[in-house]
Amino acid sequence: MAQGIGNPVAAAAAAAGPYLDVRDLGFAYRQGAPVLEGFSLAVERGHLVCVLGPNGSGKSTLLRIIVGLLAPAKGEVRLAGIPLAAYGRGALARRIAYVPQETLAAVGFTVLETVLMGRSPHTGALGFETARDWYAAREALRLTDVDALADRSLEELSGGERQRVIVARALAQEPDLVLLDEPTAFLDIRHQHAIYGLLRTLVKERNLTVVCVSHDLNLAAAYADRLILVSRGRAAAAGKPDDVIRPEVLSPVYETPVEIRRDDVTGRPYVLPRPPA
Amino acid sequence: MKLRLLTGRRYVGAILLWLAAWVVVSGLAVLLGAENVWAWTSWAKVRDVVNLRFYSVLTASAVGAALALAGLALQALLRNPLADPFVLGVSGGASLGIILASLWLTAIAAPAFGFLGALATIGLVYVVAQRRGRLEPYTLLLSGVIINAFYAAAIMLTTALAEPERRGDIAYWMMGSITTFDPQWTMVAIVGGLATAAAVLFAVLAKGFNLVAVGEDTAGALGVRVERLRLVTFVAASLVTGASVALAGPIGFVGLICPHLLRMVLGPDHRRLVPAAFFFGAILLVVADLATRLMEGIGGQTPPVGVLTAMAGGPFFIYLLRTRWRRASETR
Repeated sequence: MAQGIGNPVAAAAAAAGPYLDVRDLGFAYRQGAPVLEGFSLAVERGHLVCVLGPNGSGKSTLLRIIVGLLAPAKGEVRLAGIPLAAYGRGALARRIAYVPQETLAAVGFTVLETVLMGRSPHTGALGFETARDWYAAREALRLTDVDALADRSLEELSGGERQRVIVARALAQEPDLVLLDEPTAFLDIRHQHAIYGLLRTLVKERNLTVVCVSHDLNLAAAYADRLILVSRGRAAAAGKPDDVIRPEVLSPVYETPVEIRRDDVTGRPYVLPRPPA
Repeated sequence: MKLRLLTGRRYVGAILLWLAAWVVVSGLAVLLGAENVWAWTSWAKVRDVVNLRFYSVLTASAVGAALALAGLALQALLRNPLADPFVLGVSGGASLGIILASLWLTAIAAPAFGFLGALATIGLVYVVAQRRGRLEPYTLLLSGVIINAFYAAAIMLTTALAEPERRGDIAYWMMGSITTFDPQWTMVAIVGGLATAAAVLFAVLAKGFNLVAVGEDTAGALGVRVERLRLVTFVAASLVTGASVALAGPIGFVGLICPHLLRMVLGPDHRRLVPAAFFFGAILLVVADLATRLMEGIGGQTPPVGVLTAMAGGPFFIYLLRTRWRRASETR
């Protein structure tokens, strides 16, 4: 399987298709109703894609399947043209980083130690880090603006600081694809925009691909290249922000009337909910 | 930034330091005892006593290392700072298996039954304490309490059914003791070998222990096969616990005390804690066994070392319950 990944023919074939290709995905938790059904999604390399949708629509499950934590019951995920199942666990971890929704506080690890854990797919059997790992961790700390906290224990930090540390750990992993599950849920507006601004920069400068689950329609509309709207396990709409941030698309999915305006500065659409009085 | 990277050189250096500390402590433990070496008159006497003490030191080292490693691994994989082979009933399961085997089968089968009893208990505790795919920290400890009570009753029943002249042996063995006039060198070699193998295995798994401690999804996304790691660790911890109980009886709280004392000094990184637990577990039990032999000089009887570790371990458990536990459960 490893030969296929380095194979120039396979690489050329992959370049033709989307970088992340999710096809006809089906998934249900044990004894539960299907969470995803016939779900498809295509993400181009170097795009920032936000996954939107009401609570319980299957967004988090989608991410957990893409990162390989859950195996789909139906369908297939391809990364760079190669089925996910053909990658080894370690090979996958060097390509995909995952920032989970709830992050359990560590048992006394410092910020720097936590970020260095992102290097573990790159280290040897005993897990010794090299100067290269150290450099990657420090760079990640700098990018997420937490380098001043490096020696602090994770438990001492605020929710927002902790979230940035976890993003830093994902960056230290030096992946091609970053999956984030509501990375700004605990953040104030300054850090919300700092995180999305950082994701934008990484997409632009490092050709990173980002898939980000978000509840914040306006942040997503302001920063994403593409939006995908999930409703009851299916893709209800997908496309540029202007194609998805429309009342006739959003209102039925969120079951609430919305009004769309446009930001005069950025030209991006934004949403005002107008629930019936 | 304060953190010093863990390099191969520092790793080997730390192991050599631990080894030196173990050699020094063991040497002292051979020289010291109820009778002082310099008070002896004949060489034959010196040889006999040194032989016995040498046996005690090696037994204590093998058992201590095994239990400390098992405790460390269980705490990491169950994500519970109070996990310990004794507290969770794993030693109790091993004891029951060993007693049953040695009473009604052959004594040679005892270690294998110890292993099976330990493994079955870990499996049971793990299944009982799980709710919706998550381990409930309180349920885990409570199931340990209940399982221990059940095993205690089963062992009492077995003892009552045994021939009267065996009852005393069982009761004394259940106290957990190292120093003996009936050396079992083969068992010492087996336990020592298994503990060393477990140390090497856990050293390789240490990276995974760290990640699982932070979160299972995180570990999975960083390339750890969590289910496989858990299975391998549980089997290894059961093996070393079962073998050490077969050798010295159930000695409690070593697996709790050792990892925590080390964490206070070395921090939470299992890459540092695994080799440290191997050596420090050995050192701690050598010292505890030495203490029991020194008490012989005062009272004329050698108390079982398991009694000593339990008397120290009980208060330590309460201390952890009031400090580390509160922090761990609040941040969940």
